[in-house]
Amino acid sequence: MNVSELTLLVLRIGFLLLLWMFIFGIVYALRSDLFGQRVRKMSTDAAPAAAFPASAVPVAVPVAAPAAPDAFTAPVARASPAGANSGVDGGMATAQNTTRLVITSGPKAGTEFPLGADTITIGRSSDSSLVIRDDYTSTHHARLMLWNDEWMLQDLDSTNGTFLAGARVTVPTKIPLNATVKIGATSFELRR
Amino acid sequence: MSKASALKTSRDEPVRRLHLPQKLRNLELFLLLIACFINASAVMLVQLGTLGELDPTLVLLGAGLSALVIGLHIVLRFVARDADPFILPIATVLNGIGIAMIYRIDIADNQGGWESAAVRQTVWSALAIFSAIVVLLVIRNHRVLFRYTYIAGLVGVLLLFLPLVPGLGKEISGARVWISFGNFGTFQPGEIAKIALAVFFAGYLVRNRDSLSMVGKKILGARFPRFRDLGPILVVWALSMSVIIFQRDLGTALLYFGLFLVMLYLATGRLSWVVLGMGLFLGGALIASQTLNYVNGRFTNWLDALNPEVYNADGGSFQLVQGLFGLAKGGLLGTGWGQGRPEITPVPQSDYIIASLGEELGLAGIFAILALYLLFVARGFRIGFAGQDDFGKLLSVGLAFVVALQCFIVIGGVTRVIPLTGLTTPFLAAGGSSLVANWIIAALLLRLSDTVRNQPRLVV
Repeated sequence: MNVSELTLLVLRIGFLLLLWMFIFGIVYALRSDLFGQRVRKMSTDAAPAAAFPASAVPVAVPVAAPAAPDAFTAPVARASPAGANSGVDGGMATAQNTTRLVITSGPKAGTEFPLGADTITIGRSSDSSLVIRDDYTSTHHARLMLWNDEWMLQDLDSTNGTFLAGARVTVPTKIPLNATVKIGATSFELRR
Repeated sequence: MSKASALKTSRDEPVRRLHLPQKLRNLELFLLLIACFINASAVMLVQLGTLGELDPTLVLLGAGLSALVIGLHIVLRFVARDADPFILPIATVLNGIGIAMIYRIDIADNQGGWESAAVRQTVWSALAIFSAIVVLLVIRNHRVLFRYTYIAGLVGVLLLFLPLVPGLGKEISGARVWISFGNFGTFQPGEIAKIALAVFFAGYLVRNRDSLSMVGKKILGARFPRFRDLGPILVVWALSMSVIIFQRDLGTALLYFGLFLVMLYLATGRLSWVVLGMGLFLGGALIASQTLNYVNGRFTNWLDALNPEVYNADGGSFQLVQGLFGLAKGGLLGTGWGQGRPEITPVPQSDYIIASLGEELGLAGIFAILALYLLFVARGFRIGFAGQDDFGKLLSVGLAFVVALQCFIVIGGVTRVIPLTGLTTPFLAAGGSSLVANWIIAALLLRLSDTVRNQPRLVV
């Protein structure tokens, strides 16, 4: 035994420290899982709401969720330059007649997203299929899924709600083609 | 590949990936290097603590293991670029700490050379990591497993009862859960069976959950299933009871039944199944404790462990209490690698490895190990939560839960929270079949996490 007691004591504590540093390293790397994704700052007039995302008042925010169905005309008109009025041009979105999801308002307006047979999850979390990072989107906000070949929209108990043609979605709802779905400051439509 | 090309063609490249895939792999490599360093320093500290000098032969063996783990990492870079970066480092650290402790007990027992338990464990680890690589290469999409639901169920049940075949099965310390291959060694097929059964339960429940969750009478606010829908749970219950009776293995039975119950709860979202199942199992265990000698003994050892009569009895609580003494000796920071005397407890390198580690690493070390398990299981749950298809969701949560439950059963038994039942501590304990099974679970979780992240995605 040519190793002194003191060396062993130091090495022993060093090993435990190393083990715990490894664990805290992992926890640090997964901090976004534990505390949610960082929010992106919105434009200046939404700044007060941005400071307290959970208590964001719909009325105080220009493009936030309208409180009642009859208030939907303004955001929809602003949201869909293509002039789509919800549900008018024919039928519900099905697996056969729908090929893409088009963002109609928000920072990425005009972007398209191909639809397959898979469920599309929407939220701030980075494992969503459609990641929306603003103050009004919940971590797991909503999802689009195929039920009997028809696209359904389901709100996942989000804080600020999901709106289909201006009406808040509470139960899984069929989506008409070209109808505006609004989540936070982003709107999109399902198109052929 | 087809998805990627489909994205490219859809107009001036609007779809972007959130992560550059290699970012995750680089993080994994960084953590993996730390993990290999932890493993090497554990072995070196064992040598300093017991021999007082460094012996390079086993360090070289450890380096071989590190090379294999890095090999697995390189395979991931090619076949599962978006896989979870934490699972592999965590499994590596647990496996390495286990080998260091087994090596330490070998030295105490004067076992050296190529026949010792530590060398065997290292060879088994290499085999296990190799089988994880094979799983990753063969299963490119977890939905393939969905096709083989019923075959997986059959394989699971066959593996479970393989040790009962005369001539093939082998009885060790009362339980008949091993099969022997002559001189080559023994294998515990039940460990592999838990993966097959998890696949079967996931596939079966995805197909049949509607009838299990929709209908039934409401009693006291909870919706209870119809009598005819009780079939599956009764079959699994009968299966686990027959494991208790014929194989004399309480832990395995609890593991499979718990796994089925949790997956049933996940699939249906109804608490009444859990209440019903726990009632059934507790009833069965109570009857077993009255009628079967070995179960009764386990209960006595648990409830009355410190009674001198029980302590000194043949098959009494000697082992359990020695383990507790060891944990107490360890205290907060432990005696240090090689400084305690964990070899006094019977089987300190398999069932009681947690007590051995608790003695030498202390409460701080035990909590670190538990935190590693917690992170591993949490990653599994997380993968299930983020998953898009129900089969993948159920499978990943089921696989993660089976690791969690196994930890609870064995660590709970050693620390006298529940009656002691023989199971291996995942990744840590000496035992080849357990290592192979757990590394395959890690590989499946890696594959599932890759599929979850690898979907068309748009960031606004």
